[in-house]
Amino acid sequence: MKNFRYLVLGALVATALPFTGLVVGSQAQLGSLGRAPAEEGGPLMPPLEPGQAVQGREVYLSLGCVSCHTQQVRPAGQGRDIAAGLGGRPSVARDYVLQPVVLLGDRRIGPDLANYGSRAKSESDVLAALRKPVHAPGLRFDADGKPDARVTALAAYLRSLRQDYSSPEAPLK
Amino acid sequence: MSRIDAPLRVPFTLLFGSAALWLTLASVFSLLAKVQLLPSGLGACEWFAHGRLEAAARNAFVYGWAGNALFALNLWLLSQLGRFEIRNGWMAAIGGLFWNLALTWCTVSVIVHGPGAYALLDFPAGAGPVLAVSFALAGLWPVVAYAKRPTGHNFAAQWFVVGASVAFLLAFVLAQVTVVWAPASGVVQAVAHSWYVRSVELLWLGGSALGFGYYFVSKVLARPLHAYYLASVAFWTYFLFAGWTAPAALIGSPVPLWVQSAGVVGCVMMLVPVLLIGLNLLGALSKEGGWSRAWNSTSLRFISLGLTSILASIVLAAWSSDRAVNAALRFTSFSEGQGVLLLYAGVTMCVFGASYAALPRVSGGRWPSAAAIHTHFWASLLGAVGTVVSAFAQVGGRSPDWAFVAAGSSALLLLGHLAFASNAFATLIGGGESPQSHPAHD
Ligand code: HEC
Repeated sequence: MKNFRYLVLGALVATALPFTGLVVGSQAQLGSLGRAPAEEGGPLMPPLEPGQAVQGREVYLSLGCVSCHTQQVRPAGQGRDIAAGLGGRPSVARDYVLQPVVLLGDRRIGPDLANYGSRAKSESDVLAALRKPVHAPGLRFDADGKPDARVTALAAYLRSLRQDYSSPEAPLK
Repeated sequence: MSRIDAPLRVPFTLLFGSAALWLTLASVFSLLAKVQLLPSGLGACEWFAHGRLEAAARNAFVYGWAGNALFALNLWLLSQLGRFEIRNGWMAAIGGLFWNLALTWCTVSVIVHGPGAYALLDFPAGAGPVLAVSFALAGLWPVVAYAKRPTGHNFAAQWFVVGASVAFLLAFVLAQVTVVWAPASGVVQAVAHSWYVRSVELLWLGGSALGFGYYFVSKVLARPLHAYYLASVAFWTYFLFAGWTAPAALIGSPVPLWVQSAGVVGCVMMLVPVLLIGLNLLGALSKEGGWSRAWNSTSLRFISLGLTSILASIVLAAWSSDRAVNAALRFTSFSEGQGVLLLYAGVTMCVFGASYAALPRVSGGRWPSAAAIHTHFWASLLGAVGTVVSAFAQVGGRSPDWAFVAAGSSALLLLGHLAFASNAFATLIGGGESPQSHPAHD
């Protein structure tokens, strides 16, 4: 019987310890993080999302775009993200504080989208990317090539993706 | 049939039968997801969006196949080891029933409405509590069997299986709370998610598979394990370090640096249990013709392959947690290959091996078709190798040729699983009367 108690308790503690250390620890460090200006008196960043972008995020989630696209730029010492033009600075935790679910992703079959909004020059750039055959499932355009409401919302969301402002933790150079 | 096995029959049949169905379904989804990545694609229907197919395949594989199979096999193994006679087997059956109903709902929802942001937690929020309660009913029997064992026997296999079972329930509940019901703020979700995934992979699935290893290696070789006195150190270090490896999946991500470093340390520390488990199990297999005896036992052939893959994947995880290596491998198909090595070539092979021994015992039948066993072994081995190789080969960039290899490997896996599932059904309903030319060990 003694064995039994040690075993079950020990296994539960072993499972919970990394949760306490890693998850509770990061929540303690980052839980109260909010928007902040890069310098005194500047605008609060990250900016609020336009309403259509909020709807667009739902489309992004529901079509599983996260299975092929990340939304995070690694620091210069860790991979070639910045050298490859995916962003001007590394992503920091503050960039995500407004997002109800964080879509960091962990696989890049397509390019990273953290700064897609600053890369895409116009609405038609975005629609051209979405018309590629790899994106066919679920994205509808009518006969003249006009997007339906879901695609329009998705495009607004994609255009809102940008980490091209200075952040207290990661100033733009 | 023994007094231990007889009362297991109904819950075991229900649970393992469901496992075999989910395995087939998971293979279909996974084949579709691979075909979706071919240049021709699968058309514009949103049900075939790559993210949806992949999420459905992953959930069906982990919760449907591995989950149900472990409910059945862990219960069987711990009943054997502790000479435990189950009384309220209907509870396990009810738990299994609701687990499968909830999972069916999740699968439909992923295909029709889409997955969430987090792999293995991407189902409707309402499904979480149902799954947790069902797990408590169906998945905690190993703990009961261990607590109530009349014999007082105490083997490493029991520790791994009991530890795995309680670890999953705790990890699932904590992850539901911090990722789904009351999401932690911002990127902390990603930390919690990585911890959950590693707990499922290493503690629940890996832990159970290692338990099978500790039992079958010594049973089939009919001798004690190598340096068995180290097994308790192996067990405790494995369980203590496994969860800390999680944030190695977030190296370079916008999470605190100390969290990433903890992940690297965890990955390196895992080499200690890997060494000890390797010494116990592979050490025993390497003595006195152990490998060739393993090859000649259906169960141990699968299990020795599985154990080698699990240990190899943990070594690979340590290597790829090196920051410079990680910089090149992160976000590539490397982690896919690594996942298949751990969960398919590793855990699933061990589950296959255990089921070749357990099913005839519980059902009183035999595996009716030796040809199906051969087909199953070769198709799943080649399919696993093809999948892992095509993933590693595409680390530098995706290529249509390797995408074809991946799709072909998926088709092989489906073939192997159809052979396995049909053979398993025939065994479970006791239809196998014909003599067996390729006996599972016993
Ligand atoms: C099967 C993998 C896959 C899925 C799923 C996927 N994409 Fe892509 N995406 C790609 C690939 C590959 C490219 C690059 C295509 C090219 O350059 O021809 C790309 C490119 C893009 C681009 C252009 C990026 C740039 O920097 O030019 C955008 C925007 C985009 N995808 C958005 C989405 C959205 C939104 C979804 C969900 C509806 C999605 N993707 C789902 C693979 C995928």
